[in-house]
Amino acid sequence: MATRGIDFQTLSLMDALDLAILIEDEAQERYEDFAAQMDQHRTPAAARFFRLMAFNESKHGEELSARRAELFGEAPRAVTREMIYDIEAPDFDEVRAFMTPRQAMEAALASEVKAHSFFLAAIPVLKDAGVKALFEELRDEEVYHRELVTEELAKLPPDSAVSDEDFVDEPAPQ
Amino acid sequence: MRKDLVFGMAGSGGDGIVSAGESLLQAAAAEGYHGVMTKSFGSQIRGGESSCRVRISTTPILNPGGNLDVAVALNWEDFLKFGAELPVSGTTVVIYEAATKILEADIPLVGVTPLQVIAVPIAQMAKETAGTERAKNTVVLGLIAGWFGIGAVAVMKGIRKKLAKKGEELVEANQRAFDAGRAFAMEHPLKTSMNVVASDTKGQVKLITDGNDMCAAAAIFAGCQFFGGYPITPSTEIMQFFTDHVWKYGGAVLQAEDEIAGIGAAVGASFAGKKSMTATSGPGLSLKSEMMGLASIAELPLVIIDVQRGGPSTGLPTKTEQSDLFAAAFSAHGDVIRPVLAPTSVADIFRITIEAFNIAEYYQTPVIVLSDQEIASRKETLDPIDTTQFKIINRLVPAGADLVDYKRFQQTENHISPISHPGLLGGTYLASGIEHVESGAPTNSGDVHQRMNEKRTRKFDPLKDRKDLFEVTGNPDAPIAIIAWGSVAGVCREALEMAQAEGINVKLLVPYLLYPVAENVYNDFFKSVQKGIVVEQTHLAQTFKLLRMHVDLPKGLKSLARSGANPFLPGDIVAALHQLLSELQRSHEGQLQPQE
Amino acid sequence: MSATCEFQAKDYKSSLKPIWCPGCGDFSVVQGIYRALAAIGRPPHEIAFVSGIGCSSRIPGYTTAYGFNSVHGRSLPIAQGIKLANPDLLVLAAGGDGDGFSIGGGHIAHLIRRNMDITYIVMDNQIYGLTKGQLSPTSQKGRVTCTSRFGSLEEPVNPLLYVLAYGAGFVAQASPTDLVGMAATIEEAIRYPGFAFVNIQSPCVTYGEEAQQIKGLKAISENLAAMGHNPADRLAAMDLAQQYGQKMHLGVFYRNPEPAPTYDGLVRERQAALSKNAPPKEQILDLFIKK
Repeated sequence: MATRGIDFQTLSLMDALDLAILIEDEAQERYEDFAAQMDQHRTPAAARFFRLMAFNESKHGEELSARRAELFGEAPRAVTREMIYDIEAPDFDEVRAFMTPRQAMEAALASEVKAHSFFLAAIPVLKDAGVKALFEELRDEEVYHRELVTEELAKLPPDSAVSDEDFVDEPAPQ
Repeated sequence: MRKDLVFGMAGSGGDGIVSAGESLLQAAAAEGYHGVMTKSFGSQIRGGESSCRVRISTTPILNPGGNLDVAVALNWEDFLKFGAELPVSGTTVVIYEAATKILEADIPLVGVTPLQVIAVPIAQMAKETAGTERAKNTVVLGLIAGWFGIGAVAVMKGIRKKLAKKGEELVEANQRAFDAGRAFAMEHPLKTSMNVVASDTKGQVKLITDGNDMCAAAAIFAGCQFFGGYPITPSTEIMQFFTDHVWKYGGAVLQAEDEIAGIGAAVGASFAGKKSMTATSGPGLSLKSEMMGLASIAELPLVIIDVQRGGPSTGLPTKTEQSDLFAAAFSAHGDVIRPVLAPTSVADIFRITIEAFNIAEYYQTPVIVLSDQEIASRKETLDPIDTTQFKIINRLVPAGADLVDYKRFQQTENHISPISHPGLLGGTYLASGIEHVESGAPTNSGDVHQRMNEKRTRKFDPLKDRKDLFEVTGNPDAPIAIIAWGSVAGVCREALEMAQAEGINVKLLVPYLLYPVAENVYNDFFKSVQKGIVVEQTHLAQTFKLLRMHVDLPKGLKSLARSGANPFLPGDIVAALHQLLSELQRSHEGQLQPQE
Repeated sequence: MSATCEFQAKDYKSSLKPIWCPGCGDFSVVQGIYRALAAIGRPPHEIAFVSGIGCSSRIPGYTTAYGFNSVHGRSLPIAQGIKLANPDLLVLAAGGDGDGFSIGGGHIAHLIRRNMDITYIVMDNQIYGLTKGQLSPTSQKGRVTCTSRFGSLEEPVNPLLYVLAYGAGFVAQASPTDLVGMAATIEEAIRYPGFAFVNIQSPCVTYGEEAQQIKGLKAISENLAAMGHNPADRLAAMDLAQQYGQKMHLGVFYRNPEPAPTYDGLVRERQAALSKNAPPKEQILDLFIKK
């Protein structure tokens, strides 16, 4: 979780919105990558879940984009993808072979927590009232997502005491 | 008067006997003679034994010749180290250094009485005329001019040109040494005159070069723009030629850190769309074999010159042999055909190297050219070559419709797919050593592997019908046959002429294409054959065995195989043919008897 | 090479599906490469991407560039042949630590002294993954693997120090703990006019140790720029490189402030100089005429 070259004290509302969109884009891309990896390794339940996460991120991104368009139109974007890294996207190694849906959800949950802490930490530094309101909204959004995932998790039967790893084949030497 | 003379000279490296041979060859060429010169060395870098054979003739020469007509020994210890490479017979004139203090009757040649033996105070004459014993080689050239009529003017003309930059004083010293040698010869005429008749082509332009330089020149002529390699005797001069000349033609050369990197860079350059090559000798061929497998499966054109020497391992690094045949035909792992070609002389390595590039480019494959130490290092005089006769083939590059949904390894009727290269829009693909589907994407499928193996094998079918890669001489219906390739073929060509003159009904097959084995060509050739020999410089009879693996050989076909270094002489082959003839006659008598 | 905005990261992504284990660090490396190439903006067909053998060496196939997945340890000789045959191409080489520092370990020194304009990316995971978890040249001493049941007895190779010591003009390190930094580092390496080396700590999720996974790497990660390291200072770079294995410094260790001429550039000059007034190749045999 990192940012580069962002001065939160002087962050404008347009830049903040653009930043939020990029954060959603990044997370969406990562979940799609994870879903593809799960497809490739015949783990459809986890793939379905990651795809659902990707869809949620994209939906949220679209909402933010609509607001941005309404407020600022086609004004050129000042923030770039290079300024953020892994705010809401899970780490590359959060996906593992033969993940159970529970493990997949836990990985997603950890990322929502991570994103929540990012906004939480940024808010005190912010000067612009509009930006502050946006970040608080985003922080609360993460809380809401966290609850959603936690609820979904609760619905799942507990994973078996034996690990799936105990059943799968050894990796094949190439 | 003689039309053909074979000189053999030996001394220590410091005697300059090889440069004397080169001067003699150049002088002979200037006087319109045909000439061949081979060099042979001991294993020391400097000062060890060194020798050369120079054969001079009024007609084109097929090989370095058999027994010596003239032997020159600057010291006997070094001369004797060359053994069968410098064979002295009853028709040889032996000239040697009087300072050896050996009497003419006591020269250390066992079991042979030369035609004439002459002790000459060569070192003393050099010292007296040039002020240094180092001029011994020039004295020798004077002796040769005096006794055999070669180079009386041309030798000094050549030396003058060579030493012009070093000052008149040195030239004059050489002139005095040369004149002294010539005067000595005039004062001591041979018992039997051995003067060579004047050539009727005096004044015509002649080329002089060796097999390595000729091979490199052919590669550049064929459009080769990249050489990657590593120094290894006796192939290194090919790389040296490239470093001198390839830049002029927009090409590059990389002296790599090892044999593998050398061929690796050549594979890379070929992938990038350029004709490329590497050259090596036996040990390097072994190191390169993994890359050859890669080039075969990735279907990349590449020419590999293997200048064979005595093996295995370091073996005899300065001597010739043909024992890399199996390694060339079967190097690298997996099921794959890699064409193997072999030149027989400096003259035809030009054509064969061009042919190697044409085959590599057309079939998209590595091609191995089996040269050998003798061809590589021997110098030949050649008449000018009409280069317009050679067709140059370039790889099939995709264009137009090929580039719509381009598939690098597309199955086609002739199993050859258009090959793109980086920089070509629409042609991107993944080249790989992994088995791949038509697009180039990796696969583990057994079915695809089977199909791709078929593609990579069957594409070579037309190559086996290339009759122009075989030479048949002699009576096509002859019952007796010789098969030989590489430098040994030249010896067999002369043996064929000798045997025919002695009334033997014989024919000779020289394959320039060794692998894949062209079964049909051999089957046709064998139709009339009852007896024959496969002549080769390998201990294990590799050629004979390679043929037996692919073709039903006539029962009477035998192997005449011998380890390298010691050359076959035309006389050896003729003797074997006489043996075959008498066997043939006996078996005919055997068949006839019951009828009588 | 001038940056254009014509290409996006996705334009460099091929349709092949990676064979890597889910969570493999190499997924981040290929993303980093897509981004760096997009920033540079060369069309894919002008890029040649060569690799050896190993999990990571599958990477050229996952790009839309001309790829060459060659034989074990030999990406660099092949890359050099490509560069010399066509210096206009952007040439990338990549592979694992075994490919680059064990079986192919002899090649890198020579590429460095030739200083060809090639970027070499090593995905360093301290293990042989493709063959199922044997010791690699960068495995820590004492590491237990299936070929070192009682712990390895040898010191690891230090790729950074190795390359710095041979005089590479550009040496950097990246990791999936910072994809943005990785993309920027790869981009800078490609833009460097000469040989550039990027060591990427790319965790093996299947055979790697816990401490080598992203969380473990984050704990030992330090950003060179943030530390105030001056990338023009080669000795300081070598000092920092000695901490390979304990600390993970990210960013540029060394960038030669005065890049040396490249071999491929010198070859071009030589070709231009010597091809002037050269006789056509059809007359090459004239060299052998003795009058």
